[in-house]
Amino acid sequence: MRTKRLSIGLGKTLAVAALLFWSLFPIAFIVMSSLKPGQEIFAVPPAYLFTPTFENYASLWNRWGSFFDGLLNSTIVTAGATALAVSASTCAGYVYSRNAGRFLNASVVFLIVVRLIPPIVVTLPLFPIINAMGLNDTHIVLIVLYATFFVSLGAILMRTFIDQIPRELDEAAQIDGAKPLTILLRVIVPLAAPGILAVAVFVVVFSWNEFLFAFIFTATKAKTTPLVISEMIGSIDGVDWGILFAASTVQLAPVLLFVVLMNRYLVAGLTAGATKG
Amino acid sequence: MAGLRLQKLRKAFGAAQIIKGVDIDIADGEFVVFVGPSGCGKSTLLRMIAGLEDITAGDLFIGDQRCNDMEPRDRGIAMVFQSYALYPHLTVYDNMSFGLTLSKTPKAEIETRVREAARILKLEELLDRKPANLSGGQRQRVAIGRAIIRKPAVFLFDEPLSNLDAALRMDMRMEIARLHKELGATMIYVTHDQVEAMTLADKIVVLDAGKVQQIGRPIDLYKKPANRFVAGFIGSPKMNFLDVRVTGVSNGAVTVESPTVASVAIEAEGFSVGDRAVLGVRPQLLRRGQQQPGLGVIRGTVSLAERLGAETIVSLETASGERALAVIPQDEVFETGSAVEFVFEPDAAHLFAA
Repeated sequence: MRTKRLSIGLGKTLAVAALLFWSLFPIAFIVMSSLKPGQEIFAVPPAYLFTPTFENYASLWNRWGSFFDGLLNSTIVTAGATALAVSASTCAGYVYSRNAGRFLNASVVFLIVVRLIPPIVVTLPLFPIINAMGLNDTHIVLIVLYATFFVSLGAILMRTFIDQIPRELDEAAQIDGAKPLTILLRVIVPLAAPGILAVAVFVVVFSWNEFLFAFIFTATKAKTTPLVISEMIGSIDGVDWGILFAASTVQLAPVLLFVVLMNRYLVAGLTAGATKG
Repeated sequence: MAGLRLQKLRKAFGAAQIIKGVDIDIADGEFVVFVGPSGCGKSTLLRMIAGLEDITAGDLFIGDQRCNDMEPRDRGIAMVFQSYALYPHLTVYDNMSFGLTLSKTPKAEIETRVREAARILKLEELLDRKPANLSGGQRQRVAIGRAIIRKPAVFLFDEPLSNLDAALRMDMRMEIARLHKELGATMIYVTHDQVEAMTLADKIVVLDAGKVQQIGRPIDLYKKPANRFVAGFIGSPKMNFLDVRVTGVSNGAVTVESPTVASVAIEAEGFSVGDRAVLGVRPQLLRRGQQQPGLGVIRGTVSLAERLGAETIVSLETASGERALAVIPQDEVFETGSAVEFVFEPDAAHLFAA
């Protein structure tokens, strides 16, 4: 009995360790490499003990000014897309939660179907249109695109969250003199905050890391960090791995921090509506 | 302050008729209770008055204004919900002042009004708490406070006490009665509990299946129920109903009898000899006794006797298998299975069409 329990415990520990190694190793590798002098990065056997240096970060600052422009662009695009997706999802989720009707129900199905189509199929034909509108290489095009990808999932997620808020609260507010928008902002939004944050986490992570659409729709002015990092790899004067890892670490840090901080809400978002109360 | 006039109000959800033409006049300052079994439409009717449900047909007047198409906020009403519906993220103070803040009432006045409502409802100590940290009774008082503060012409209560335990329910009932006296506002109160209806109401509206069954003062409904439904609904325990046959009709009096009930003359109209009818006698009006001229008699055997100390509730089974209850206002011993006769004054009995 005792040995059985012990072996189960051991098995669990090993499984968790394997999982942690699997997910943390690449991150640890990148961060550690960014702190090594260039020649030690790919040393065999790897140097686990080394004197950390910030020279890679200094070179990044000195030689890749475009990386920091990219960071600014990424920040603008991520913030914009998140704000847009979150507001649209919340509004839509509220409508879905509080109203019923054949048209509305059909549109939910439509939202799911749209989400199943590979985004690139819908996006490529947009290229000439966006060009014609003069929106190519602007923040706006990425903001709208990224937000669009998440409005369907976000709306459904928000509906689930808002469904858990008793309708009597809307009615009480209505009698208190609140109009629909006021009810949404002053009653629903504060109570659905965990859901809103969960949607935000999805959009932030996606927008911050997205490469393909940024590659298609931006060239110079609105270029995001992933693009700059890819340029580092294709750089004509050879790849400076130290700088690359420093850049990757900087790119990684904010989103990692954000996800860790919002972890609680992310899990809540994934399991929303799974059980009652 | 305002009275209300409901004229031929109807409500349909698709093909389902919920409210089937309701006419009610409510005077300014009156306490009116809508009572009826669940599904009778009483809550729907209240929500139509509040403006939370559309009115399919008919007219709703609050004061002199037709309110059918008016937004809830413009109707001069306040509502207390069964679930309290307090805003969980706001403090008691903010819950109560929510409406006033929306209408951009000056801060100082909001403060005065919140303090005043808190004083009336004894909530002063709780103003900084969130609803999660309040007991059921306290939450209900906050919900009432939120209504009071709007100084509405009409208060609407939707089964406000049904989530409270029995003792608290009685306290809150008295508190609501006191509030009505103090504020003098028109109040409409929905409940399925006929005790609440009897104790609180100036006027009771009994509803069943979307129709008004009777409107009147509580005691009138008790003494002169318009039909069998009202007779059965008002009063506890329920009125006894026994099948009888009409054997004689003479000006204003109808003589009925059955194997269970000895021949007795009841004041009633609209029956003719040979009709089947239903005799209604309240359990409290039955007493043990022998047949004498002028008294009605019900015969049967005791199937259960509950001795509560101050009173004894006797269940009676008649030869034909009908059941009747008698509430004897004293402690008395009844042998289970023994044959008994209960007598009643015919004046206090009712006769309904079968």
